[in-house]
Amino acid sequence: MFRYRFVLLVLLIGLLAVVFPLITVAQTPDENTLIIAQTVDVGALDPASVNSRAEANIFFHVFGTLFEIGDDGVLRPYLASEYVVSEDGTEWTFTLNEGLTCHDGEALTAEDVAYSFERAADPANAFTGNTAGFALPAIGYQGMRVDGDLQVTVLTDRYQTPNLRLALISEVYIHCKDSYSALSLEEAGQKPIGSGPYRFVEWVPDDHITLEAVEGYTLRPTNFKTQIWRVIPEASTRVAELIAGNVDVIANVPPDQIEAVNNSGVATVQAVAGTRRIYVGFQFGENFKDAPGYDALQNTDVRVALQYAVDVPTICKTLLGTECERASSMVNPPNNNPNLEPYPFDPAKAEELLDAAGYPRNADGVRFETVLMGPRGRYLNDANVVQAIAQYLTDVGVKTTVDIRDWADYRTLTGPKEIGPMFFLGTGGGTWDALYDMADLSSPDAGTNYTNWQNEEWFTLWNSLADIRDPEQEREIINQMLEVFYNDPPWLLLYFQPDFYGVSNRLDWQARRDEWIVIYNATLK
Amino acid sequence: MPCPYLWNTYRMMLRYITRRLLQSLLVILGVTLLTFLTLHLAGDPTYLYVSERASQEEIEATRKKLGFDQPLPVQYVNFLSGLARGDLGMSIRSRKPALDLVLERLPATLELTIFAMIISTTIAIPIGIISATKRGTGLDGGIMLLAMFGQSIPSFWLGIMLLLSVGLQLKLLPISGHVAVLDPMLKGDISTGLTNLPDALRYLIMPGVTIGLFSLSRNARLVRSSMLEVLSQDYVTTARSKGLSERVVIMKHAFRNALIPVVTMLGLEFGFLLSGVVVTETVFSWPGVGRLVTNAITQRDIPVVQASVVLFSFLFITLNLLVDLIYAQLDPRIRLE
Amino acid sequence: MRSLIRVSAWNNRKVRVKPDAAHPVSLMVTEPPVWKRAGRSLLRAKWPILALVILGVVAFMAVFAPSIAPKDPNRQSLVERLIEPMKANENGEIVYFLGTDGLGRDLWSRIIYGAQVSLAVGVMAVMVGGLMGTTLGVLAGYRGGLLDDIIMRLADIQLAFPFILLAIMVLVVLGPGVWNLIPVLGIGQWVTYARIARGQTISQREKEYVEAARCIGANDRRIMLRAILPNVLAPLIVIASFNVASAILAEASLSFLGLGVPPTVPTWGGILNESRDQILAGKWWPALFPGLAIMFTVLSLNILGDWLRDFLDPRLRGR
Repeated sequence: MFRYRFVLLVLLIGLLAVVFPLITVAQTPDENTLIIAQTVDVGALDPASVNSRAEANIFFHVFGTLFEIGDDGVLRPYLASEYVVSEDGTEWTFTLNEGLTCHDGEALTAEDVAYSFERAADPANAFTGNTAGFALPAIGYQGMRVDGDLQVTVLTDRYQTPNLRLALISEVYIHCKDSYSALSLEEAGQKPIGSGPYRFVEWVPDDHITLEAVEGYTLRPTNFKTQIWRVIPEASTRVAELIAGNVDVIANVPPDQIEAVNNSGVATVQAVAGTRRIYVGFQFGENFKDAPGYDALQNTDVRVALQYAVDVPTICKTLLGTECERASSMVNPPNNNPNLEPYPFDPAKAEELLDAAGYPRNADGVRFETVLMGPRGRYLNDANVVQAIAQYLTDVGVKTTVDIRDWADYRTLTGPKEIGPMFFLGTGGGTWDALYDMADLSSPDAGTNYTNWQNEEWFTLWNSLADIRDPEQEREIINQMLEVFYNDPPWLLLYFQPDFYGVSNRLDWQARRDEWIVIYNATLK
Repeated sequence: MPCPYLWNTYRMMLRYITRRLLQSLLVILGVTLLTFLTLHLAGDPTYLYVSERASQEEIEATRKKLGFDQPLPVQYVNFLSGLARGDLGMSIRSRKPALDLVLERLPATLELTIFAMIISTTIAIPIGIISATKRGTGLDGGIMLLAMFGQSIPSFWLGIMLLLSVGLQLKLLPISGHVAVLDPMLKGDISTGLTNLPDALRYLIMPGVTIGLFSLSRNARLVRSSMLEVLSQDYVTTARSKGLSERVVIMKHAFRNALIPVVTMLGLEFGFLLSGVVVTETVFSWPGVGRLVTNAITQRDIPVVQASVVLFSFLFITLNLLVDLIYAQLDPRIRLE
Repeated sequence: MRSLIRVSAWNNRKVRVKPDAAHPVSLMVTEPPVWKRAGRSLLRAKWPILALVILGVVAFMAVFAPSIAPKDPNRQSLVERLIEPMKANENGEIVYFLGTDGLGRDLWSRIIYGAQVSLAVGVMAVMVGGLMGTTLGVLAGYRGGLLDDIIMRLADIQLAFPFILLAIMVLVVLGPGVWNLIPVLGIGQWVTYARIARGQTISQREKEYVEAARCIGANDRRIMLRAILPNVLAPLIVIASFNVASAILAEASLSFLGLGVPPTVPTWGGILNESRDQILAGKWWPALFPGLAIMFTVLSLNILGDWLRDFLDPRLRGR
């Protein structure tokens, strides 16, 4: 008979390779180490090229900014202690704190601040992303002027609401001239030399970034000696690591797993009302003239009627895992128009209005057909919310087909505004100024006017704001504009996207509303 | 006269290898063109590199910066002339040579695929042999049924279940992450690599099993059936009738021949494992090429996609060439032509 | 005349062996038709019968989905989301036999409709790949020369390009959809068929019966279709049965990456993928049932493929 001793031996070796490592024990974060898990890795670590939230979150800790945007919307002094604005509002002069240094020991002076702006704006560097691609153009950046060792002036081409401008200026990360001019662009993207409370130690791509507290940093606290920012793309894996106690903070807890986290006794979910405005846009662009439902949706009464058809609170409760108030405008509370009531869920009224608008149900119970486009994998539970909205619209007789695309694909369509006749989208907002949120619709052909909305009253009022300096008068016009928006809605108003952070119970930390993870202030309980 | 004979074989082999490599160049060219066209037909990639609140002018400016404003043929010719110089371009997202990005993550992926290949062969071959020698018994039936189950579980599902049960509930293995072994070794730091090894293995098991289970099951069935076929051949019967022990018959005569289909599979296996890598790396947050490429595709970081495709093709081609050479060694009837 | 010459056992019951040294006498063996032998062979084996029954049930579900499914598979009801299987409502009725998913859709109806799409995707992908691969393979093997070189280099490009990358790229470009998925999965498979078809064709090309066909003036197309194709088909059919299974699994993997079919089209892989956040939340049913459906179908296809291989050509073991 065949003796398979040899065969068994090989099998044993194979099994041993599997079983042997089971013997050692897993490690957990200690009192000096804070471990945070994000969903995606940074692309590069150049302070002038911020292309994702993941990058910004690292930069908040490694770099200082002139002022800092607090999670309450208040702007507080940071590297700069104060600022003066010129008469015409175009020149902003900041005074830096004394004795600042960068992490390589170089003194941080006005010249370095000027360099940080100039480097980002330099076309030769071809930077993309938030600083060069949005913040600087949005303030009408013209250049910098060094007025002294600690005085530096930002030159712009126009007046702008002070809070808005200061917030945009505070999105520029300050770095030192000597350290960065010695680096090639490639090197600069790998090993940041910062000016903030934490020093960069190591970046293992797609795995983790390690930061270490800067000793003697006084401007901001450094409660943990080490921060490790891990990358864990899969939601279930992130939550499992949190519950196992291997990670302190995770971003984007799926709504259906909130209960599991809260029941674990190890961590708790913090739900924050985010500032991202989620809406369904109605496309007005000519490109969609022949698309189903286009004509019906041009009718203001139809667009108002549809607002009543969607049960936003139920969507929030079931698909987003939290209670939320429906948006009454595109502006984040508390900067919105307090007189506007969110549209209630009232399908009967929706049907009544649709009848009155000249779109009765036909023999099949259909008023008209249309298409709702949406992304997948970008916003909280997006594909499901899109399907739920389509169901609600179908329920009142507007037969809605959904067309769901992968995010990258969707973005290449939203860019040239090739989305419609209805589309699901979310754009980032702010808490510090109503105009920041309203800037989406700054002109009929603004890149962010995805619906191609042409309402004359709105754009006339927007242009009139340019000459107004009095905050109260400005507020009045804002309220008036939001009313126009409410009554001739280019958006089917939905909600401000809630964000869920899983936070270990050993930690005392409050998550922010604006999708930023700023965690130098976290302490052990 | 053994010498001329050897020399002949050697020359034939050399000619064969050169021809294969020349053909590979064509293959790689085809692969890059395919990649280039698909990614550019997918819409203007510029939008993925501008802030969602960017204005028309900023978008225009970014398009110029990234070179997407040039006609497609010009862009492709530019890419090819770079490729000829061994320059695969800079990653748009990371502003780093695209090839470096891929090479940096290759060791982690190789660890995973090699481990998966090891468990799928070291376990599959003995299991297959046992099954074949015990043909028709309950043991054989049980093993084969298990093997078929192993081939019918979607890998992401297996991964998540493993992670939640073995990692979270039983706390036997770390849930996710990676400890580098190959990377320090390739950089010349062999001792760090070795000290990391036990730890690294703990991180390897679950993702390795997730990728390897399918191949393990298939290989076990493959070994079993080719064993059965070989055992019924005349020369095995002859060997038996000569009074050789069953063990010698199986090990000396049958085993070697039964291995041929498994070796053939190994070449194709690599490509197959790479497919599994994309899903598994995501589930276990393994910092490998699979994730890099999927991210690069969804972000339209075209140079990175090109670099990885070129590298994968190259690896695949070399591996298959190797397999063909080994194959010729195993089976003298096979000639290289 | 031609059909009498010699054809492998599976497609012709009359086997005539020409007289040669080993068999000095010409003989004519009459075997029962292939379906009868298949039936007998099946009856002797237990597992293939079970597999066939399972596949039969699945196919039945797929074909008659509209009449079997109690609900519209896409009808949502947010207030009824994630209801447990066999759970009675306040009236004591069980509305959702297998419970509901995250959007309050009937899981049972989705799985029934899912059978339709999953099977269609699997079978049609194999048809696309098989047709393409066999045609190219037979052509390459029969004609040889430049055509052979071109086809085989195409095959190399295909093989050198990891399938998942191709799938991701094509689906990202074309967008997810059943009609995009089928060719992608099909193209991922054609090389396997092409290589085997080519190899078999080369070995058949010089056989006497082909010579004979040529002698009686049959043109190339006729020879390839009538003489060679039937003789290379057996291994291809076996491979096809395994590939239906792997196409179903591949569809599940692509769903995981968000590239399967749109979420409004129920497929098993898609349903399984949508449930992945719910596993950790302790909601097991939206994951278990589609998972079982995939597993049993793939398992049955594999068992059947194994049997088919043994039946059609025992020499094929190990391919």
